[in-house]
Amino acid sequence: MTTTIERVVRKAPVPERPRRGRGAFRRHLWSYVFLIPLVLLFGGFTVWPMIASWWYAFFDWDGVGSPADWVGLANFREVLASDAFWRAFWHSFVFSLAAIFVELPLALVLAILLNNSWLRFRNLYRLVLFLPVVATTAVIGIVIAILLDPAGGLVNRILLDSGLIDQPVNFLGSTSIALPTLLSIDVWKGFGITLIYWLAALQTVPKDLQEAAAIDGAGFWRSLRFVTLPVVMPIAIVILLLVFQRSLNTFDLVRAVTEGGPDYATDVVPTYIYRYAFDPSLQAPRYGFASAAGVVFGLLTLVVTLLQAPFMRRRVGS
Amino acid sequence: MKIRPALTVLTCAVALALSGCNLVGGSSDSGSAADKVTVTVALVPDPPGASEFYRQQFDEFEKANPGIAVKVVENPSDQQLNAVELMFQQNRAPDVFRAQDDGMDRMAARGWVAPLDEFVTPEFLKRFPEGSMDPATSGLHRDGKLMSLPLVWGPWSSLRVFLYNEDLLKKSGFDGPPKTWADLERMAAKITADGHGKYFGYAPTAAKAPAAEMLAGTAVPYSVAASGIDFRTGKPATSSPGLVEAVELHRRMQAAKVMMPGWESWDGSRAFKEFAAGKLAMYPTPPWHVAEVRKLSPEIKLGITGLPVPAAGRGAYLARNKSFSPLWSMSSQSAHKAESWKVMDFLASDAFHKAYYQKFGTLTALEGAWKAEAEKNPDQAAILKVAAETLRRAPNPALASKGGQAITQALAAKPDLKYTDAAVSSIVKNQPFAPAAAQLDKDLQTFLDKTSADLAAKGQEGSAKDLTFAGWDPLKDFTPGG
Repeated sequence: MTTTIERVVRKAPVPERPRRGRGAFRRHLWSYVFLIPLVLLFGGFTVWPMIASWWYAFFDWDGVGSPADWVGLANFREVLASDAFWRAFWHSFVFSLAAIFVELPLALVLAILLNNSWLRFRNLYRLVLFLPVVATTAVIGIVIAILLDPAGGLVNRILLDSGLIDQPVNFLGSTSIALPTLLSIDVWKGFGITLIYWLAALQTVPKDLQEAAAIDGAGFWRSLRFVTLPVVMPIAIVILLLVFQRSLNTFDLVRAVTEGGPDYATDVVPTYIYRYAFDPSLQAPRYGFASAAGVVFGLLTLVVTLLQAPFMRRRVGS
Repeated sequence: MKIRPALTVLTCAVALALSGCNLVGGSSDSGSAADKVTVTVALVPDPPGASEFYRQQFDEFEKANPGIAVKVVENPSDQQLNAVELMFQQNRAPDVFRAQDDGMDRMAARGWVAPLDEFVTPEFLKRFPEGSMDPATSGLHRDGKLMSLPLVWGPWSSLRVFLYNEDLLKKSGFDGPPKTWADLERMAAKITADGHGKYFGYAPTAAKAPAAEMLAGTAVPYSVAASGIDFRTGKPATSSPGLVEAVELHRRMQAAKVMMPGWESWDGSRAFKEFAAGKLAMYPTPPWHVAEVRKLSPEIKLGITGLPVPAAGRGAYLARNKSFSPLWSMSSQSAHKAESWKVMDFLASDAFHKAYYQKFGTLTALEGAWKAEAEKNPDQAAILKVAAETLRRAPNPALASKGGQAITQALAAKPDLKYTDAAVSSIVKNQPFAPAAAQLDKDLQTFLDKTSADLAAKGQEGSAKDLTFAGWDPLKDFTPGG
């Protein structure tokens, strides 16, 4: 005996496998032609800089002229031995953890709520939640600094007036509070885009599957657990990777709000790299060293991402 | 898939038009008269209002020099050097560019700075105070060649003043500013307590606590406060009691919650904004903050005095180790050197300096442009008085010898060896500074030994000897070779 859901799934049409060979290539020739600009731009502005940075990492180079002072693995050794690099890497990783374990589930819950057609003004809610995404980070930095100012900022005034605290909180100036403050701002700012990802994923769940589940007597929670989540799971993996990558590369927020301070308590790898490549206080920038830091960071990111692969395979498989 | 010929033609036309936007129509200079020479000047829009000021000034220049058009390229202050370097690498070098202090050396080391000696006339040199353009001490010469022109008054870059709000001090019963560090600590604590969170006694000026370095400059030779090396001995001296105490003073005030909270994330302009808003009673600063405070709060009871000194007495004066700070340089790649010089000549003219002084309140390199007026202005007169009382000539290894130049440049490329981060860490984490200072001294010595050995291996000069000026007394004016 089969359930309605199984019958619906069996009926789903199997996509036709694309034809291969010269005929197919000729047929799609114009598609390839239109891809050329993208390939050129992607190659020139993404692939080439990436490959070049691997090469530069082997030189003591200040970014002017051609790199000539070959230092082998010295830059890599210096990066790996740098406490400041590992501290920055940990902070970057904490940004990712916050995004994955706080932002991702919260956004999913809200997306499920906002995906309901019975909810009035849901487009307005979506807009409001998405606004921080399009707000300029530099402006957010200024506004946040004013709001959180321990000497008369609005947040501290409210907390003091309400009796919740008896001393102003130094949100951005305390080495123990600055990072959690930035994490909260990052989650708030990135929330809208994660929400949109989830909404897009939820809208791929076929209505007939949900209707079939309802006919089979499944309530909201059972439908969510046995229909919605399994269907969106492959997309969830992509969302997780996107959010992980985005949060690991947090730069503009840190740069705009704390510049990595106080005492490097909020320093992340991108600001660490930026300091060595572009800090005007340096007599000569260390592009070679900064490139090595970038390569090490890239490899570490790859390793962390690959570590998630078995878990993801299991989730998708199940 | 069939593509219609019309669509193909349309696509090609759009592509050509778009590429043409970049390849053909990119220049904005083509519209001007063909006989005009365009001189490109790369500068920074700093201080606020500089963009409009420079454009207005260059418009005046163009009226007086109809054959020259000045094109201004603006870059953010902290990206100016990188941006100009990129322009050079792309063969789009500006003719004239702003490169301050070490930045000029960075550009000169790449061979991008043209010597200006061929253009300089006796009349031009007479504009500057007597003796200030001596190649050995001007700060603008390298290897005896004039490589840059100044904008600001010689002492302006080295001078540090102490600002205080007379009203806030009076509210706590103080008639005048602190004379010593002990006075400062006591007064700041009282003012902060009296302020009840509405205003505060003191702040260390910005997130990197530059105030610690400024105050240390009254206790130890400037070279110790600036780079951790004592130029009397050529040896690392971060552990000098005066420097350690300057940091410890700030650590104590931070631990006692005397300093204005939030300074740990302040940028360079926050201190004068808080001061002008009446929320900060005292802080040490470079003199340019004075005009900014006045702009924001014209009526504030602003006191300007010298920095407080250690209770045991002054150990050093602030150092003036060159006559001027370099600012304007000419590109060695300029195809219009004569016209570029005319622009530089204008930037060093009495009219330009007068206009700059009047617009920004900055004392400029040509004293004749502002001196009479400044002496009548209470704020500026106070700055001049502090400069006369607290600045002394000091040795400059970078100007004294090639070896000194090589070592100081190598040191400037190693910010990790400067104590600033360790000092901030000590202050915000309430940890003693002395152990970190001792470690830094060891690292500095290792660096000096290694750099000397590397330079020697390359057959170049540069050792601790080049950083040693044995007869120098930081309480007296230094005379090169004297």
